[in-house]
Amino acid sequence: MGNGRLLREGIQDGLPIFLGYFSTALAFGLLCRSSGLGLLESQAISLTNFSGSGQFLMMNLFNAGSFMLEIVISVFFLNTRYIFMASSLSQKLDRPESVAGRVMSGFGTTDEIFTVASFKNRRLEYSYLAGLIFTSYAGWNSGTFLGYLAGTFLPDVIQKAAAITCYAMFASLLGGETRRNAKAILALMISGGINSFLILVLKLGTGISFLISMLATAIIAAFIYTDEEAGV
Amino acid sequence: MSRVILMILLCSIATMLPRMLPYFMPFLSRLPKFVRKCMNLLPVAALGALIFPLALTDFGASWYAGFGGVAAAFIVAYFRCPMIISIIVALVSTTILLII
Repeated sequence: MGNGRLLREGIQDGLPIFLGYFSTALAFGLLCRSSGLGLLESQAISLTNFSGSGQFLMMNLFNAGSFMLEIVISVFFLNTRYIFMASSLSQKLDRPESVAGRVMSGFGTTDEIFTVASFKNRRLEYSYLAGLIFTSYAGWNSGTFLGYLAGTFLPDVIQKAAAITCYAMFASLLGGETRRNAKAILALMISGGINSFLILVLKLGTGISFLISMLATAIIAAFIYTDEEAGV
Repeated sequence: MSRVILMILLCSIATMLPRMLPYFMPFLSRLPKFVRKCMNLLPVAALGALIFPLALTDFGASWYAGFGGVAAAFIVAYFRCPMIISIIVALVSTTILLII
C-alpha cells in the first residue's frame, strides 16, 4: 500500500477516537477554566501531556493544593502501565530503526491508540500510525480549546457544579470497568476507603494520600484479580 | 518560569518517559510478572482514591450534590452511554442538587 493510502486508513481508524477524545477534552477544558488556569496554560497541558487520566489527575491534585512533587510522582506512577503498551507496540513497527518514528509512536501511545493499533494484526507503518495519532491528538486539543471557551458562556451555578466533571469522568470510567468486571467495585471501596482514612482521620496531604492509596490498592487488587483479568 | 508551567512540563516528562523509553530500551518489558500485574491494575486502583473523599468534601455542606453527581455518572456509564453523556448527566444532577 502507498503512504497516502496508509495515512488515510490511519485517519479513518482515528475518527472514533477523535470523537471520544473531543468530548472528554471538552470536560477537561471546562475544568481547567473553573480551576483558574489561563487558556494558554490549559492548551499547553493537552499539547504536551496528551493523556486523559493523567491530566485529570494533575488538575485534581492541583485543585486539592498538593505539592508539585506529589503531583508529578503520582502522574508518573499512573503512567507506568504505558511501559507495557509501548513495549508491545515497539515490537510491531514496520521500520523499527527510525528514531523520529519511534518518538512519534511513543508520544502517541495512549490507551485507545494502543488498543486500535494492537488489533491491526500486521506490521505497523509510520504513515498509518501518523494518521491515527494525529487524528486523535487533534480531537484532544480542539476539545480542550472549545471546552475552555464554553466555560465563558455558562452561568455561575453551573461553573460551581463543574467541579464535578473531574469526578464524573472517574465515576464513568469506573462504571464501564464494573460492567466488564464487578471486582472494580471492590477496588473502589478499598482505594476510596484508604484515601478517606488517610485524609480525614490521619489528616495527611491529598497528594501523598493518593499515592499511598493507589499503590496499596494495586498490590491488594493483584491478589483479587486473576492474571487474565489483569491482562498479564 | 511560573509554578504552573513548571508543573505542566514535569508532568509531560512523567507521561512521556514511560511511553517512549520502551521503544528505545526493549528490556523494560521483561519485569517480573507480579510487578507487571500491579502496574496494569494501577488505573483501576487509582479511581476510588480519585473520587473519595474529595468529591464529597469539595462541596462542603452540600456534599450530597457531589455524591449525586458521581452516582449518576457511574450508573449512566454502567449502561454503556458515552462518557460525555454521563458527564453531562452528572453536571445537571449536581447543579439541581446545589439549587434545591
